[in-house]
Amino acid sequence: MELLDASQRAFVLLFSGDRELWQIVYISLKVSLTALLIATLLAVPAGFFLATVHFPGRRAVVIALQSLLSFPTVVVGLMLYLLFTRSGPLGNFNLLFTQDIMILGQAIIAFPVLAAFTLAAVQGADPRVHETALGLGASRTHAAVTTLIEVRFAVMAGVFNGFGRVISEVGCAMMVGGNIAAVTRNIPTAIALETSKGDFAQGIALGTVLLVFALAINLGLAWVQGEGELK
Amino acid sequence: MSLLSVGRLAKTFSGRPLLDVSGLVFEAGSLYVLSGDNGAGKTTLLRILAGLAPADEFHFRFDGGEFTGREYPAWLRRKIIYVHQHPYLFNTGIKANIAYGLRVRDVDAALREHAVLAAIEWAGVAHLSDVPPGQLSGGEKQRVALARAKVLEPRVLLVDEPAANLDSAARAQVLELLRQTTSDNNCVVVACHDREMLDLPGVKRLHIDAGRVTAV
Repeated sequence: MELLDASQRAFVLLFSGDRELWQIVYISLKVSLTALLIATLLAVPAGFFLATVHFPGRRAVVIALQSLLSFPTVVVGLMLYLLFTRSGPLGNFNLLFTQDIMILGQAIIAFPVLAAFTLAAVQGADPRVHETALGLGASRTHAAVTTLIEVRFAVMAGVFNGFGRVISEVGCAMMVGGNIAAVTRNIPTAIALETSKGDFAQGIALGTVLLVFALAINLGLAWVQGEGELK
Repeated sequence: MSLLSVGRLAKTFSGRPLLDVSGLVFEAGSLYVLSGDNGAGKTTLLRILAGLAPADEFHFRFDGGEFTGREYPAWLRRKIIYVHQHPYLFNTGIKANIAYGLRVRDVDAALREHAVLAAIEWAGVAHLSDVPPGQLSGGEKQRVALARAKVLEPRVLLVDEPAANLDSAARAQVLELLRQTTSDNNCVVVACHDREMLDLPGVKRLHIDAGRVTAV
């Protein structure tokens, strides 16, 4: 009964336009989408580079990158905390407990996912793609973009995965963001807080919003991804 | 008139000499057929000439200019076009595939559209416009790839085994397109085993053996 009652109150909160709740949603989306954009812009070229350029230590870099896939988000938070705490080496930037450091943390969390997916996608690409583009007069950069477009289904799978990882992570956001109301409180940290207080309605409402937005954003990304080719 | 002449071209593969070519001349207005056994280096030679594979040493003249060393000039890659034995068509559409080279050359959209439509007509693939490239047959892919190359008006068109694995009707269509592509302003070089192609009247025959290319 408690669950039913809490769910009912959750929907009242959602549809009454509860300011606090929607602010949490806004912060969550702003932080996660910005982090995802930054991570994509850096990780996709990095993954392409790793897949196409041979250099000493490349294999070690690939192994390190793949190991980072299982890096706990709370450890990313801990490292950033130690770096940016007032007495830390980067304490002068005064970034701790701001949205900026949450974005930085989530970008770090998404980076290995996106880079590893891009690396796998490009390495598995038909070698004729790059050669055909070059042979038709494309510059190396243009040929690289063409290759990435050809393997966009797999690259976009990395973007989905990265988005899933950052939108739902609690550890880093809690540690470097501090869960400050209207400043750094996002959906996962708010759910953790409200649940610890016994306010399940807010938690359920936020959980519902998270799922709906995740679906909407994934639909948008799926449109970019395309239908893919049946094998 | 000499369009492309190879003074020297050397390539080794795993320490074994693969190509040792000198004094090879391609004249404008000619259709060349390059024959040779499997593994003789036909594909490697074409890919080096197109700037898609490195040579250990090269020295050639193109249209009055002289090139030497290991670095292939980027602009030359836009004049010498290579068509793969199994052409890769981008997963976009036939029109977008044919337009690709024009797009990377920043050709005006209206001119591009005009050229692409003409090339589609020329290659006889208009009825395939809405078919995803992955669903085309080998012969259809070859025709689209030839249209994609022709639209760029290459000075030297290098075509690798265009008739391999095609039935006789598709082979005849491809051979006819290659003949039509040859003009006074360019030359076409076709690597192949195909008897039908080797026996075509008016073609100039080259043979590659032990890394050397000789006129037959």
